[in-house]
Parts: sequence; structure tokens; C-alpha cells
Amino acid sequence: MSNTTELVTKDDTAVSRRAGDPAQRRITVTPPVDIFEDSQKVTLWADLPGVTKDRLNIKVSDGNLSIEGESVVPTPTGLRLLHAEVPQPHFARAFSLGADLDASKIDAILKDGVLKLTIPRREEARPRRIEVHAG
Amino acid sequence: MSDLFFGSDLFNEFDRLQQMASLFNGFPSSIRSGRFGTFPQINVGSTDDSIEIVVFAPGIDPKALDVSIDKGLLVISGERETVRPEAADDTRVYARERFAGTFRRVVELPEQADPDKVTARYTDGCLAIRVGKKETSKPRAITVQ
Repeated sequence: MSNTTELVTKDDTAVSRRAGDPAQRRITVTPPVDIFEDSQKVTLWADLPGVTKDRLNIKVSDGNLSIEGESVVPTPTGLRLLHAEVPQPHFARAFSLGADLDASKIDAILKDGVLKLTIPRREEARPRRIEVHAG
Repeated sequence: MSDLFFGSDLFNEFDRLQQMASLFNGFPSSIRSGRFGTFPQINVGSTDDSIEIVVFAPGIDPKALDVSIDKGLLVISGERETVRPEAADDTRVYARERFAGTFRRVVELPEQADPDKVTARYTDGCLAIRVGKKETSKPRAITVQ
């Protein structure tokens, strides 16, 4: 198994999206992620603080996985912002999935603002041992 | 390698530059606020009767969060455990951008903050801290005689 890009983190969809579609051209925050792969699956963890289940949108189309979420922080009326390290509450990030990953079986868990995505490898793409029979 | 030229990292840099620009145009930042990219990130706002602090700290057990006030300083500290799986031979790491380890952030509270009126609530990875203001500092209308 080579160590190349089964799951390419290059966000080429963001280039086309930002240039082409004016409706989508709002400023978003790129959430930090951890991505691990073992022989069965790829696991992705993303920090999405303040994002609730119904404000999270995970889409797979044309082999691209996109994660979008909106952070909702209840604030009292009349709030004046004094210091903002998170100026935009919109999170967005996209990845392209390799053909060996089974996008139809993605499992997503959101807990305490952390998204865990499990993307299994296709059955036929999993490493296996081939028995050699003596002839 | 292509990430050097195209991709999310580039936009990250733009975002960061925009933040830097707004930093220079806006309020002077606190000497204790640190650089961008620290964990957890903090937004601070105020209303007429309270100071509202939102700490963006996802994936932390609320019991592992420590919030204290000492001499007008609000200190938020805690630890976030790594999610890295057991180091099996066949596990490959493609990205490790999320913060792991102990952290400590300090917010300077204004003079009118009342250290006896503090509430903290952790929901969906956000810690919302509300510090009340002293009665005497609240705005009030003065009747003209």
C-alpha cells in the first residue's frame, strides 16, 4: 500500500466555489481537522464549536465531501462585541475522496462541538491476504 | 505539495490577514490576549449589566474545565485529550491540526466586573461565561431638577 493521497485534503472545490458562485461567497472559517487512516477506514475529526446537529450540513457529491456548519451562540440582546477571535460563525471545509472509499457508508457523530466522520474503505479495497496453494 | 499554492491553507492565510488588518484598525488588543491561532479562541462582548465571554473549546469534558477569577483576571484552563488512535503499524496520519494538550487563557476583566456574579455554561463545545457588573457601574438616567 503506498502512502499517497487516498484522501486528498487539497480543497480545490473552494477555489471554484469562491470564484464562481456569488451566493456562496461569504467568509468562512476553516475548521482544524485530524485525519487518520487504517486498513478499514479513514477517520476524520473536525472542531466545530457551537455547531448543533441541525445546523451541520455534510454532503457528498462527485467524490467530494463537504462539511458546513453554523455556530449558534446564544447572546443577550444589546451585546457589543469587544474582542472577537472568531468573527464569522460559519465553518466550511471540503475534501475529495479517493475511489477506494465508500461514500455511501459514512458515519457521522457530533459531540460537544467535535465532528467524527468514519469513512469505510470499500470491501474490495481492503488489504487481504491471498492464500497460496501448493500446486 | 500543491497545498502550498492552492487549497484551504491559502484561504486560511487570507482569513488571517484580514483578522490582522482588523486588529490594527480596531481596538488595541490586550497584552494578555496572545497571538492568533491559540486554543481556545475567545470572543468577548458586553451588555449594560454583564460581560459575556464565549470560549470556543470543543471536545472537552466540562469537568476538565477550570474557570477562576483572581484579581480581576478571568482564567480558563483545562486539557484536551488527543484523539489519536493507538499507534498501530497500519495507521497513517494525514492531518493533525486540532489542538491537544493543556491550555490556559486569561481575560482581563474591566473594573466594573463583579467577581461574585459569575455563571459558566458549556454547550456544544462552547463555554459561555457571564460576569455581572457591579450595581454602581450600571448606566442609569439622572433626573434633572
